[in-house]
Amino acid sequence: MVLVAALTCVLPLVGCGAPMASGPAVSAPTVTASPSATPSAVPPTAAVTVPVAGAGLDQQIPIAVAPVRIRIPAIGVDMSVQPEGLADTGAMALPPDPADAAWYRYGSWPGSAGGATVIAAHVDSLDYDIGPLARLPEVVAGTEMIVTTEEGREISYLVQAEGMVRKTDVDWPAVFDRSGPPRLTIVTCGGEFDYDRRTYLENVVVTALPQG
Amino acid sequence: MRTTILATGIAAGALLIIGAAAPANAAEGDAQLSVLHAVPDVTVDVYVNDELTIDDFEPGSMGGPLALPAGTYSVAITASDAADASSPVIGPVDLALESGMNYTAVAHLGEDGTPTATLFTNDISTIAAGEGRLTVRHVAAAPAVDVLAGGTAVITGLTNPDEEILALPAGVVSASVAATGTTDPLIGPADVNVAEGVNTIAYAWGSLDDDNLALAVQTIEGLHSSPDSIPAGSAGLVATNKPFDATGIWVGASVLTLLVAAVAAVAVTRVKARA
Repeated sequence: MVLVAALTCVLPLVGCGAPMASGPAVSAPTVTASPSATPSAVPPTAAVTVPVAGAGLDQQIPIAVAPVRIRIPAIGVDMSVQPEGLADTGAMALPPDPADAAWYRYGSWPGSAGGATVIAAHVDSLDYDIGPLARLPEVVAGTEMIVTTEEGREISYLVQAEGMVRKTDVDWPAVFDRSGPPRLTIVTCGGEFDYDRRTYLENVVVTALPQG
Repeated sequence: MRTTILATGIAAGALLIIGAAAPANAAEGDAQLSVLHAVPDVTVDVYVNDELTIDDFEPGSMGGPLALPAGTYSVAITASDAADASSPVIGPVDLALESGMNYTAVAHLGEDGTPTATLFTNDISTIAAGEGRLTVRHVAAAPAVDVLAGGTAVITGLTNPDEEILALPAGVVSASVAATGTTDPLIGPADVNVAEGVNTIAYAWGSLDDDNLALAVQTIEGLHSSPDSIPAGSAGLVATNKPFDATGIWVGASVLTLLVAAVAAVAVTRVKARA
């Protein structure tokens, strides 16, 4: 009985391995003298479950599998996708031709455990004219988007009812979020144009979730 | 004797804390503690404040992270069949954990092969976009080592129980560990994914004499920064305010009207001033 009581005490001491938003308040740490139980033939068992995993090289962050093609049949989009990182300006880099899309190579990828796979393209260019994503604002809830990965896998996504945003003040860390459910986020520009700074004032951001 | 060695180890660990950047993602004031078992060949139990916390902990495995309120915790490591923490093989050691910080306590061999423990503070400051953080820790019974990436030494003269932190372009590094001043690998070469926005912590552990040196890896994600915009158009060809768009003309006309009004107002003010 003494042993049981002692083990129960450990719960508030070490808390829970999984981060918990709520739950019993964890008490301040105290160094308690272990009750000198009579020698027992049975070793104790841990009162809390601490997640334990291997720490070998196989536990590394997986290598990303790049998307190579994006199709949105409802609006006639069929674009190649290339990996891009950052431009010198701190913005996401994009290929100059609006017919080519970019995937943010440092973020999530199609088939990754979670987070937003971000694919973006210019809406237009004076050198190349209007791009396929000029029609992105036409998508509606349920519009299908199909991404092909470099491994040849096709993943189908459906646009969400609240997944279409056109705004000037985008929360970029949220767009590039690497946590949460796996999702596809397509970004281009739209709205009014600033003819002096030669930039659109708004972004069109469409979010879709994997089908099935 | 053991206590002295441990004290030295902890002191070295404590020194490493200095210079660590402020945490980027402190979680409600708790400290995060992971525990790495890097003593070869022995399965152990881990006691925190005299209570069994990790049972039958195997070498080469990582426990946690545990979210713990800031404070000082007594950690003892015993044989796996121990009835309590009274006869530890390592410790007990006092780990002082500060609010919002991220730690890894490592049970490992000292350079001379004596089991010991070191508390490392993990750098969880935000990482520049496009970069990964590689932390290398020497917790092996081995003399000073160099760490080579693609055959070139990127860390030299690292000794037990020290660490070195590198900011690298994100990507896979072919890493090996060699006796300092040499290039003949003691460990590796092995592919280490220095992922973007992640602190990838590589531990060289084991024993040179026992020929069981190995790498262990811990990753701390979520330290990335994001692009600050996606300027995805430069021609205005699909703008809602195109010049040939009636809306645009109407706006232009309005601006002109305002300008005329402003000029008139200034003129009136000046006339009044003269009067």
